[in-house]
Amino acid sequence: MAKSKKEIISIQSVSKIYNLGETVVKALDNVSLSIYDNDYISIMGPSGSGKSTLMNIIGCLDVPTKGKYKFKDELISEMDDNQLANIRNEKIGFVFQTFNLLPKLNAMQNVEVPLIYSSLGRKERIERAEEALHIVGLQDRMTHKPNELSGGQRQRVAIARALVNKPSIILADEPTGNLDSKSGNEILKFFAKLHKDGNTIIMVTHEESVAKLSKRRIDIFDGKIARDE
Amino acid sequence: MEKLLEMNNFFKNIIIGLFSVRSNLTRVILTASGLTIGIFTVSIVSAAVSSIDKEFAKSMDYYGNDKVYVGTWPWSFDFDWWKYRNRPKIEESSLEYITQYSEYITDVSIKKNTWTRATYGNKASWVQLNGVYPSYQDMLSGTKIENGRFFSQNEWDLQRRVIIVGGTVRDGFFQGKDPIGKKIRLNNVTFEIIGELKKQGIGMVPGGTLDNLVIMPSTTFERILTRWGFDELVLQTSPEDIPLAKEEVGMIMRVARKIPPGDDDNFAVNSADAYMEQFNTMKNAIAGMGFLVTGISLVVSAIGIMNVMFVSVRERTREIGLRKAMGATNFNILTQFLSEAVAIAIIGGSVGIALIRLTVFGLASFPIPNFNGATLPISFDLLLVFYTFTVCVFIGVLAGLIPARTAANLNPIDALRDE
Ligand SMILES: Nc1ncnc2c1ncn2[C@@H]1O[C@H](COP(=O)(O)OP(=O)(O)OP(=O)(O)O)[C@@H](O)[C@H]1O
Ligand SMILES: [Mg+2]
Repeated sequence: MAKSKKEIISIQSVSKIYNLGETVVKALDNVSLSIYDNDYISIMGPSGSGKSTLMNIIGCLDVPTKGKYKFKDELISEMDDNQLANIRNEKIGFVFQTFNLLPKLNAMQNVEVPLIYSSLGRKERIERAEEALHIVGLQDRMTHKPNELSGGQRQRVAIARALVNKPSIILADEPTGNLDSKSGNEILKFFAKLHKDGNTIIMVTHEESVAKLSKRRIDIFDGKIARDE
Repeated sequence: MEKLLEMNNFFKNIIIGLFSVRSNLTRVILTASGLTIGIFTVSIVSAAVSSIDKEFAKSMDYYGNDKVYVGTWPWSFDFDWWKYRNRPKIEESSLEYITQYSEYITDVSIKKNTWTRATYGNKASWVQLNGVYPSYQDMLSGTKIENGRFFSQNEWDLQRRVIIVGGTVRDGFFQGKDPIGKKIRLNNVTFEIIGELKKQGIGMVPGGTLDNLVIMPSTTFERILTRWGFDELVLQTSPEDIPLAKEEVGMIMRVARKIPPGDDDNFAVNSADAYMEQFNTMKNAIAGMGFLVTGISLVVSAIGIMNVMFVSVRERTREIGLRKAMGATNFNILTQFLSEAVAIAIIGGSVGIALIRLTVFGLASFPIPNFNGATLPISFDLLLVFYTFTVCVFIGVLAGLIPARTAANLNPIDALRDE
């Protein structure tokens, strides 16, 4: 860890405040954080502590109420909707707890979704989607619809979809939350491999054992970072 | 290049929209049927109106835009028989007053009208008979002598049994062969055909066709045909003088008939333009009804499409959230849902076009018997297809705009969290 790492994300004094009339919820309270290239971070904390909020801000799905967010050299906190959509498309891969595959599309078409919103031609889209499904070991399930796949396989399709645009960072909010322990372990092995191949991964989890597999651990409590090591 | 890529993106979203249509086909077809009805009615109505127009234009030619007709009754659709039944018949003698005193009338003829049975061998047909002056040759309107000749002054003086026949006689009696010189019987009297008129086709005149016509000298007519009929005065003027000519003829007629000042006319001065006005009122009523029905069905179907689109947005909230998380812009989502709405509209319109096509086909194979083999001239053309598509795109965009905007403006996090 002594090696000097390249910073890709810099979050400075970011707050997310929900004003609900009488009460004010500080989902994130003055959080500062740096994320480096090839980090493998797990975020832990009790329910409602602000983990998803932080992930959504990192993933450019949400904008902070206060503070500065820089992605490489771009100031995300100042961007408009279209610019954010572009960053999400090119720089970020999402993996969700509930997979979020489109039920009417087959594995291949699901993986293609992010590419549709990039400027790639059809041929290259197909090549990239096939490649991504290869990486997750589903090359023989390409024409299967989500309801013809197991939970673990569905999550692998979702990971292939997150990888397909070669993002700078992969964000996974409780990726094993809906899986049995065997499939969950497979997915985690997978993340380890992706990390080894040079990817940057941030994962939210509730399980100590899962968090142990990562290289850096951040604990959040009441919208504040309680521990980062 | 940048622009080209943007276009490419645009079409990809349209394709996504089209695919969602396919997955809800039943719902789509039900919704689209409103548009089907709309498109169908509008084209049937406009075809009907335009074909009535065409027929009517021919009838206008038949009466001529440069002629004034003096008759017992006005040309009117709301004809009040009780008011007119005691009017005296038209007298040929009035023509002398008109030729003598009128400034605007350049030529005159009597036109005696009746209908009679015409026979040739064992063939028989009802024809319209006109008894006229030799001058009528130059006053024929909408047609002309196409074959043979008109009767001469001499033939008129001598009450010769010579006739000029309309276009249907050739086919009806002579299997399409030249009828000149042939003899047919009218009211059991033999006549020789000396001339043939150019065909005019179907028109909105008594009997439906303008060609079922036989013209002869009015002197012969008077001598031989005593059955009921009515007389008219046909007066030649020029189109721009019609209003003045009508006024003047009216005054001369009052003098000729010695009608005291203050009394009503007991004759009618007619011309095609007045007829035209009557006709336009009727045509506008038909068109108005048709367009009302169409308008209502278009509005109803627009509301239907809007409703289906709202349901679609609701059902696919998570999909929208996911697509946004994957990098779809608001505009991408807007395009996707707008093209879905337009596709629904176009499906409705296409079914409408197919129905019209079938109707045209059906009508073509069932000629209307009264009209001598002619069909109701509804036409099917590319312009119709073009208009339909324009209307469908318009309705689709209109109906889809609000739901599509709702979809486009969804917050991705809330949308993803949707159950
Ligand atoms: N749209 C919102 N409006 C109001 N409050 C919100 C909204 N989204 C989140 N919050 C609040 O912000 C706080 C943090 O929520 P967040 O979803 O980040 O928690 P979390 O750590 O991911 O919890 P969990 O482990 O249950 O997923 C919570 O108190 C939550 O109620
Ligand atoms: Mg959460």
